[in-house]
Amino acid sequence: MTGPSSGDADRASGAAGSVRSEQVPGDIAFHPDGRERKTWTSDLSVAEAAAVRRVGMIPKGFVMGTAVMQLAALGGQAFGQWGGLAGPQLGVGGGFSESYPCAHSYSLGGSVGFGGNVGPNQEHYGFSIEDTVLAASLTEGYRLALERLHDEAIQLGAHGVVGVALFFENLVGSTGTATFFARGTAVVHGGTAPLPSPFLTNASGQHFERLIALGYVPSAMAVGVGSVYVQPNCQARGDFTVPGVNRQIPAAISVARSRARAALAAMAHRMGEGVVHTEWTDRRVSRYAESWDQLAVAVGTAVRRYSAEALPVNPRPVLPLRP
Amino acid sequence: MEAALAGLRRPFVPGDQTTFLSDLTVGELVLLEEIGYRPVDIVSGVGTASWNPQFTTAATEGNMWGRAIATAIDHARSGILEELRSRQADGVVAMRFELERERANLLTCTMLGTAVRSPHRQPADGQPFATTLTARDFHLLVRAGYEPTGIVIGVSVVGFAARSVSQSLGLARDNVELGDQTTALYAAREKAMEMMEHEAGELGADGVVEVQLQERPVNALLTHAVEFIAVGTAVRRAAPGHQALGPEFQLTLDDPPDVTFRDG
Repeated sequence: MTGPSSGDADRASGAAGSVRSEQVPGDIAFHPDGRERKTWTSDLSVAEAAAVRRVGMIPKGFVMGTAVMQLAALGGQAFGQWGGLAGPQLGVGGGFSESYPCAHSYSLGGSVGFGGNVGPNQEHYGFSIEDTVLAASLTEGYRLALERLHDEAIQLGAHGVVGVALFFENLVGSTGTATFFARGTAVVHGGTAPLPSPFLTNASGQHFERLIALGYVPSAMAVGVGSVYVQPNCQARGDFTVPGVNRQIPAAISVARSRARAALAAMAHRMGEGVVHTEWTDRRVSRYAESWDQLAVAVGTAVRRYSAEALPVNPRPVLPLRP
Repeated sequence: MEAALAGLRRPFVPGDQTTFLSDLTVGELVLLEEIGYRPVDIVSGVGTASWNPQFTTAATEGNMWGRAIATAIDHARSGILEELRSRQADGVVAMRFELERERANLLTCTMLGTAVRSPHRQPADGQPFATTLTARDFHLLVRAGYEPTGIVIGVSVVGFAARSVSQSLGLARDNVELGDQTTALYAAREKAMEMMEHEAGELGADGVVEVQLQERPVNALLTHAVEFIAVGTAVRRAAPGHQALGPEFQLTLDDPPDVTFRDG
């Protein structure tokens, strides 16, 4: 995810065919921060900087990577109005998809009630379908931001970047766009030759110090994204006339989480023995009418064990006496 | 640090290594490794249910309403336990437990946390545990000689009589207790705690810690009820029994926080 070498592989591992390479902003001639730096800068707190210094590293400079993306998504608005008609065909394209018929008895295709004999009631019909296009779009935005942050760290001759904040928000552009940010503080270890690829971690300075003491070293950031488009049926919309256990919402959340977890694991497996500090976000992105995209995003630090001898910590219980 | 950087200099060849996933901070990871637990994977569970308020009011127990809430939480709990079994994990810690209310009476319960495993744990029933405890509290619990047995819940909805218009107007001038509503709250609390204790008993627990309560009066047209939800972690004494932690008293020399520039 982080280095130029891993970028192509990550792009390839995203949802197939969803991001065309000629449209990827990564191909734009991009010049990261080329100014001459007169002094070091850092977004570390004093306590974080002290922790980083305790393990022999010093801040080298504040680094950032950003990318403004047009987000692609599956189906566009057409799903909301007409998706019900496609019910029996769902799942043809592969991936998760499920249809949820109307929970009222009069739309089961029987003879009771208006519309009973002409197929599912369009208004009450629901379905969920995995949105690999949106997931790939988001993964690409994260990748670009991290890659550019990584490039700045290389320019500075840094050994790594600590306290990386990786997120997206809608700052520039209109609906359907997102601005991805990655920012943190590049650090160096005096007298040591640069690494082939600086490490990245979202751990704070203090957590970085503890990680090293535990025998682990961060290698890179890992990201996993999962997305499921949900067109709710009457029950999932909260229609009070059909109470009971609902399957559509749990299934959408579970599948989005499972995809994010699998993508995180696949990326981490190429870079280390585990992932710590995973910041997990479940989010609903509104789509046409009552539909939404159920998103799950996992961002963490891949770590490698460099020593089996962890320093004993043995924390001492204390009870502060407050004045 | 030289050794750590040298580790990064060596080419990493992905092989058959088992990559663990965790949403633990490094501090939490340290606390768990100290008591012999290692992260395995991130696990989750989700449950959703809705209910019809049934125009719940006096002498009407919101059984269907209460059962729906309990079902949503139970489905999430069952889901996360199922994932724990599939990964041969001992339990889940530092779990996010969220109850989200949506339109109408739709409640979604989500759980997400890090599955952990210990080579030393030998539970009598061989079942994994779920807990609402943070990694720090789990560390303290284990060091104090206890072990979690599972998440336990209690849910109850009890209706109460609506005040008539004349009552409302009449009572507005008086400083009196609304007995029906106080009684309903007591009844809801009793029933919820009874359910929680029953669940703890079935898990063979000695007690329940960190019980979190959520009570919500619902006053709407033809619906007057109080909803009471209790969620906690059932625990039992491990074989060696209670271990005194002997905390050290600490008197900080810091000044109180400066309140001059508080927001707002």
